[in-house]
Amino acid sequence: MDYIGEHTFWALAGRFFTYLAFTGALGTALFYGVNWLRPGACSGPDELGRTKAPDPAYLNAGRGAFALHSLGVLGVLGVLLTAILSRWFEFDYVWRHSSRDLPIEYVFSALWEGQEGSFLIWMLWHVVLGWILLRSARSWEHGTMTVVGLVQLLLTSMLLGVYVFGAKIGSSPFTLIRELPENLGLSWTTIKDYLIRIPAFRDGQGLNPLLQNYWMVIHPPTLFLGFAATLIPFAYAVAGWVERRPVDWVTPALPWVFFGVGVLGTGILMGGAWAYEALSFGGFWAWDPVENASLVPWITLVAAGHVMFIVKKKKSSGGLTAILTFLSFILVLYSTFLTRSGVLGDSSVHSFVDLGLNGQLMLLLGFFAAGSLLLLLLRWNALPKNAADEAFSSREFWLVIGSLVLLLSAVQISFSTSIPVLNKLIGPDGLIPILGEAMAPPADVFRHYHSIQIPVAIVVSLFMAAVPFLRWDATPNELLRRVLPSLAVSLVLSALAAWGLKFDQPMYTVLLFTGMFAAVANLDYWLRYLRGTWRSGGLALAHLGFALILLGALISNGKKQAISQNPVFLHKDFPANEHILLPLRDTVSMHPYWVEWSGERREGHFQLYDVHFYGTNPDQTPGKKLFTLSPYIQLNPRMGNVREPSTKHYWDRDIYTYVSFADMRSSDEKASGWSEEMVATMGRGEEVFVFDEFMMRCDSIIVNDALMVQETGDLATLDMTARLTLKHMDGRRETVDVPYQVRGNQASPGEAEFPKLGVKARFEGVSDEPGRFKMTFWRKTPEEQEFILLQAFIFPYINVLWLGVVLLAIGSGMAVAKRLAGPKAAPKA
Amino acid sequence: MKRGHLIALVVIALLVGALMVTIQDASTYATFELAERKAPEQVTVVGQLDLDQPITFNAQTSMLRFTAIDKDGQRCVVYFNQPKPTDFERAEEVTLTGMSSGDTAFFAQDILMKCPSKYADEAKLSAP
Repeated sequence: MDYIGEHTFWALAGRFFTYLAFTGALGTALFYGVNWLRPGACSGPDELGRTKAPDPAYLNAGRGAFALHSLGVLGVLGVLLTAILSRWFEFDYVWRHSSRDLPIEYVFSALWEGQEGSFLIWMLWHVVLGWILLRSARSWEHGTMTVVGLVQLLLTSMLLGVYVFGAKIGSSPFTLIRELPENLGLSWTTIKDYLIRIPAFRDGQGLNPLLQNYWMVIHPPTLFLGFAATLIPFAYAVAGWVERRPVDWVTPALPWVFFGVGVLGTGILMGGAWAYEALSFGGFWAWDPVENASLVPWITLVAAGHVMFIVKKKKSSGGLTAILTFLSFILVLYSTFLTRSGVLGDSSVHSFVDLGLNGQLMLLLGFFAAGSLLLLLLRWNALPKNAADEAFSSREFWLVIGSLVLLLSAVQISFSTSIPVLNKLIGPDGLIPILGEAMAPPADVFRHYHSIQIPVAIVVSLFMAAVPFLRWDATPNELLRRVLPSLAVSLVLSALAAWGLKFDQPMYTVLLFTGMFAAVANLDYWLRYLRGTWRSGGLALAHLGFALILLGALISNGKKQAISQNPVFLHKDFPANEHILLPLRDTVSMHPYWVEWSGERREGHFQLYDVHFYGTNPDQTPGKKLFTLSPYIQLNPRMGNVREPSTKHYWDRDIYTYVSFADMRSSDEKASGWSEEMVATMGRGEEVFVFDEFMMRCDSIIVNDALMVQETGDLATLDMTARLTLKHMDGRRETVDVPYQVRGNQASPGEAEFPKLGVKARFEGVSDEPGRFKMTFWRKTPEEQEFILLQAFIFPYINVLWLGVVLLAIGSGMAVAKRLAGPKAAPKA
Repeated sequence: MKRGHLIALVVIALLVGALMVTIQDASTYATFELAERKAPEQVTVVGQLDLDQPITFNAQTSMLRFTAIDKDGQRCVVYFNQPKPTDFERAEEVTLTGMSSGDTAFFAQDILMKCPSKYADEAKLSAP
């Protein structure tokens, strides 16, 4: 059957490109793989000691297949983008993630909101990086491209949307709504013009209002570029280990690692910036499982990058390097599994729809995890043997310790984040029931994570400060003394800062010092020992950036001050909360400010609340007006309203506010003075309980006049009245008549008030059940002052954090540039 | 013993320590009955709102009071000393973190609501 208005050609085109991408990836893996794994070819001489040159025919076939794969991925993206831009709501993906009123700038956010879209953007980056790899890998091309092909093959399979022996393989973004399994066989799917007939198809569900933010346009692609960047070191590591060259692969992989560190780090903190600007979390980091899942691979990637230098310089620590590199990529896959499988449903504010692909995701994850493990076991003896221990004063020794500390941090975050997964595995209802009762995530996540991650941050920042001053092999004592000036400077600086910012918690104070030490030492190292040259500054600048991130996070969070306080005392064990009540046009003290809420206004989808901030005079009266903030509520009838913050930025602090409660009734409803609308169906003699304190009784229904149209038997005129009696629990009662009229096709419901009891009734009409009627009741809203609840925080020195992110990105970029520029004599430390 | 082994041992010890801390910190999924027995320990209760009971919010103290039904079907009055979340009534499932008062009420410190899929259902296509 031909349906009217469907774009089935495009659905077919999309599927065609998906299969093209799948076949292309298969070809890439196959052709490159054959060349690579042929005995005697790239992976070393065969058992008889013969070597063969790689077959150029296979090489060209592999490259061609990757070109086809790239074309497929681009085609899929193109078709999906066209469908979203053209508002083709017969596509399930388009219907679920976009709507007619979606502003053009958020079309991309809609594209990668769903699982299929996020896989697509991830694959696109793999394609882009794959081409750079293909042109730069030289002798490594066979091995690395085989791995890339294999990964792309499995990722593309997530988009296939086919059923093989009843098992669902992938979910296609080109599935039409009428083709969804739950809709198959429904009567409407047989209507030719269902797209016109069914109103639900005229508009989509729309993009989650939380995601309608400019950070959400750039955060996911940046994050996924960072994720994609972990594939290349992984591919090099696999190639290196298969080819029994567990040292050589490190050199070409290094720039990729630092590219990944920079991009992924920026991407993660872009998410933090989004949370800070668009969510009313009250901060940029909440240890939410989704945030953790992207942080953990970054930590292991940083650790991998650092030990790679040891492999490069000393040809040792090859095993640890490989483990960390494998782990980074596997953790990216695990992160995808966590966020996309719905397993975190109970523990994350991000909720994702379970597409029923958990099995496939787990296979994907298991395949690479088991494969990496197997490779490590099979090739462990190919590692160069190192008899001697590293010296205590050597750089390599402390790099190893540092990366182990990072690994420890990553394991702990992973473990806590994985509690829902553990429940699925060993919980009471899990696969192997070991636990008696299900574990829940820690009640106070901040306390929990900080109890371990702050000591880790202290150790890591100490290492960042001191290790750059160490030399390979062993460090003479006079070199160690070079770190003393920065130690002294940072002691003074952190003592001043701790005093000025009133630091009282010992752990925080220690971190303040070590963070400062790391920042000062790296600045010193760069300016005095590397003479401030750009070429060599990557290490120092990236370290400085990360130290500033730690310091900014510590100060802005540790000294975050809730200036909004609820003055009502409840109970000594139940502290008053941090929400201030602002009556309309009343100036209220919110130390150190006075604030006034001047009213609400509407701008498009936003309900804005203007809050004016005044200074405080010496006599504690309101001073002059300083600034106005307009926190708002994003109105979205489909997905729920969202409170969005408004922040005043000073160079040394942010004043962050959001409306935590507002009366969201329409202005009509507020002005009419009637509220608590309730609907009831009543018959004569029946009683209903209304508003928790009244009994409403329908005494009688009187038909005053009824005229029929003779020919048809339809009603021409109807006049009737319902007599209602309202009784209060205290005995007061009141009786009124509510009229109802029909004139031809026109029904006019009548209304009547119970003036003494403050209730209004409307006679809506007859119910489906014979002899019963529909009524709506309201009660009078007591005269009340309009108000909002506001939460306000001061985040001191949060700009230090953002500066740190920029420096980390620049520093990592410089490290990449240095590795790409080729091996020149490194400056002596 | 080589220094490498020593380091490995220290790392493993630290790892075990960190994981013990994590397990210590983990709260438990409970029903209201279990929460009452465990009071004043912090627990997590997953349940639904009882929409037949009043949901009241006192703006002066910003105290929210409602009734929740846990997975065993037991009802309990819940107090939440925070502003009422937007669209609270529409939550199809609520995850309450907090503790039981030991008798009749549950004091929630944090509430996680699950909504979006519900809106999807509401908008599900119906045959004309």
